[in-house]
Amino acid sequence: MWTKQQSLRLSINVVRILKLFILVLCFCVPVMARWYDTTDTDGIGLIQGSVFLPLTICLYAAAVCGEVCLWLLGKLLENIGKGIVFTAENCQYLRFISWCCFAAAIPFTILGCWRFLSFVIAMAAGFFGLILHVLKNVFDKAVELQDENDYTI
Amino acid sequence: MPIIVNLDVMMAKRKISSNELAKRIDITPANLSILKTGKAKAVRFSTLDKLCEVLKCQPGDILEWREEEGE
Repeated sequence: MWTKQQSLRLSINVVRILKLFILVLCFCVPVMARWYDTTDTDGIGLIQGSVFLPLTICLYAAAVCGEVCLWLLGKLLENIGKGIVFTAENCQYLRFISWCCFAAAIPFTILGCWRFLSFVIAMAAGFFGLILHVLKNVFDKAVELQDENDYTI
Repeated sequence: MPIIVNLDVMMAKRKISSNELAKRIDITPANLSILKTGKAKAVRFSTLDKLCEVLKCQPGDILEWREEEGE
């Protein structure tokens, strides 16, 4: 029987694995960027030429945002595990995660000058950031309701 | 908040301690303290009912509305 506790443990473990995965990927960024640069020679963009350097910078920036996001997600899941859900602290975590998504969208938007395709990733990151921001607004309201409930005698 | 809780006044009039009142209206002393100090955001009718029953008073004796300063 699949329990809520097991589901939480799964989320925590996936976050840990992803953290490690991104760290490992950081070492492979130059190789991946070189491979993409040599493979996708006819990519469409405003700026022509090698995409190696912008892609490398973009991937490193995205990796930093990803690591921060996962670290915050870990903290959020830790709190949820303790039964601390609707708190101002968790709202802050969600807010920062949302801003991290927006921040990750910036380098991909810039990379769009070299390859239009990266606008799609930027839009996806921005859209995800927006969803999280709305979720954070819902959490804010829930914190308010929880507070009111706690102080109803 | 313009609603003032005069519970301590009524308790003094009825000569009842916080612990005893908490026990008789079946709430925790911590919750009674929240109510007494005016930190409560709402009072359930059931709580108010018990308070009035134990303290032999009307809701108006416990709750008072005052105009906010500066209005």
